[in-house]
Amino acid sequence: MAEKLIEVKSLRKYFRVGHSQVLHAVEDVSFTIEKGKTLGMVGESGCGKTTVGRTLLRLYDADGGQALFDGEDVHRIPRNRQKGLSRRMQMVFQDPYASLDPRKTVGAIVGEGLKIHRLCKTKAEYDAKVFELLEMVGLNREHASRFPHEFSGGQRQRVGIARALSVGPEFIVCDEAISALDVSIQAQVINLLMRLQKQLGLTYLFIAHDLSMVRHVADDVAVMYLGTLVETAPADTLFEHPMHPYTVGLLAAAPEPDPDYEQGRKANLLTGEVPSAINPKPGCRFCPRCPYATDECRAAMPPLAEVELGHRVACYHPVGQPSPVAG
Amino acid sequence: MAQRILEVNNLEYSFDTYAGQVQAVRRVTFHVNAGETLAIVGKSGCGKTVSVQAILKLLPEPPGRMVGGSIRYLGEEISQYNPKKMSRLRGKEMSIIFQDPMTSLNPTMRIGKQIIEGIRKHERISRREGRARAVEMLGKVGIPSPERNMNRYPHQFSGGMRQRVMIAMALACKPRILFADEPTTALDVTTQAQILELMHELKQELNASVVIITHDLSVVARVSQRIAVMYAGKIVETGDVRDIFYNPRHPYTWGLLQSVPHREGDRRQELTAIPGTPPDLFHPPAGCGFAFRCRYCMGACTQAEPPQTDLGNGHLVSCWLLDERAPKTETPQLAQRKGVREHG
Repeated sequence: MAEKLIEVKSLRKYFRVGHSQVLHAVEDVSFTIEKGKTLGMVGESGCGKTTVGRTLLRLYDADGGQALFDGEDVHRIPRNRQKGLSRRMQMVFQDPYASLDPRKTVGAIVGEGLKIHRLCKTKAEYDAKVFELLEMVGLNREHASRFPHEFSGGQRQRVGIARALSVGPEFIVCDEAISALDVSIQAQVINLLMRLQKQLGLTYLFIAHDLSMVRHVADDVAVMYLGTLVETAPADTLFEHPMHPYTVGLLAAAPEPDPDYEQGRKANLLTGEVPSAINPKPGCRFCPRCPYATDECRAAMPPLAEVELGHRVACYHPVGQPSPVAG
Repeated sequence: MAQRILEVNNLEYSFDTYAGQVQAVRRVTFHVNAGETLAIVGKSGCGKTVSVQAILKLLPEPPGRMVGGSIRYLGEEISQYNPKKMSRLRGKEMSIIFQDPMTSLNPTMRIGKQIIEGIRKHERISRREGRARAVEMLGKVGIPSPERNMNRYPHQFSGGMRQRVMIAMALACKPRILFADEPTTALDVTTQAQILELMHELKQELNASVVIITHDLSVVARVSQRIAVMYAGKIVETGDVRDIFYNPRHPYTWGLLQSVPHREGDRRQELTAIPGTPPDLFHPPAGCGFAFRCRYCMGACTQAEPPQTDLGNGHLVSCWLLDERAPKTETPQLAQRKGVREHG
């Protein structure tokens, strides 16, 4: 059994919005990530993927549950040891335009972590480290003295990755790290992330809404819907044998780059829209859009139950059969 | 032979800036047949949006300037139309929906009023008739309780619903051509599927043509009959959707197709990325725009523009590799066609 690096247990995060209104952004989410693996997290916008990632790094305080990093609860660690923790967990943000300080040079952005954590003793060592980081992500050392606006989206995302890597983390949350980029640039950044994972033994939480990319990079996939985790499984199992009606609908909605396949198949659409997560009703969150919903579903939220090894589904009426070869 | 309702010939469009002239669209030729969906594919900055906005005269001039070429709609040259004549065409004969429905709707106006305004601009009908039409359109695009939603403001809708409002507005006067500039890029996959389906249904109903601009090849595979691949202000390859996906001949098209992961592709393998960045359009290269990033680049590529080769069935490719003097190259391994399969 591989070592668990991340273990999330019944994590909750609520936001107060206005009078007596509570947005249940993350509700009872549990999952684990093994060392050196990638967990892909998918779902529509507003389903709480980003909030999970941020709460995991303690950018938000949790309202319940635990997020264990290497056996320690991220939210219970005293503030004075917080810094040591943030060295080990880093984040790559979605928007490469908004996440880099426009008044700092790229060198200063990448080197900021080195200074904060006092990782370099001399100026020469610091410079060498910054250059090394830039070269690691495919930029040149000349780029260190330039400003973010001089770079294209793909290059900026590389700067964001270099910044995350600067402090030598073990775990990186990639929050829609490629969504804002062009297709061919996406491929470059994905290749970079995967190469770095191999080189440095990194563990990723890869948050995205692009299913084909998630399938490409992830070992395991977790599907979220409106703050709840509806299904998790190894990537191949999930894409070949989805069991939650929402996962089925989500996969059917994603087009494939193949005209014969696309134009030959029937549109199998999820109807309606994602309802609001403010003061939600009890029961399964997917009920209003689910073709199989019954009174049982409306009464109580179905628990995330293991249907086969590593494949968990939160549904009273899962679709299809578990895959013939378990695991 | 299908009727060509729009013909664009050698369109050249530039922007005059302080730094010099940006040649955004460089001699682009394409046509739109009646009732078909044409997809213009390419990455950001390749000139696909500028081409379409130049046709509709939506770009501020100056700095924009049409340098040359012709645009014919139903056989009539429209590139020299004055603003008044153009505005009679826009919205009535051709309309456009944009990527970001939040910024393209007026935030201070109820959506009903915005739709009615559009209709009454082109048709002499009473306010009441206009209102009835608007309600009908909103119902058609799947907005629940259209009567009530007429009185709401754009910010009260979700992204998908706003895009539906945009479509209702664009189609209210039954245009012959609908231009859709990245219509689903800002939306989730499930909403994207709904919007694409809606556009398809309405297109059938109105027998309109659609020109969709996108960088998402999966969307292209789903909706289009023909494709034009653009790179650095030029169309490098155009043809039937099946020819482009299963028998592409331009190295840039190969690169595009290889950079998306396939359903049955090898997982966790390196994706084929195209190295480098596109050329500077202030000083476009003399030869092929893609030459500097092309694995197959030869001497001729950097010196002279490649001629267009006709491979039949409207499949046109501009690449020196198709010249008879060029060395033979193997088409790289692209994903195999999988054909129609049972789904779900």
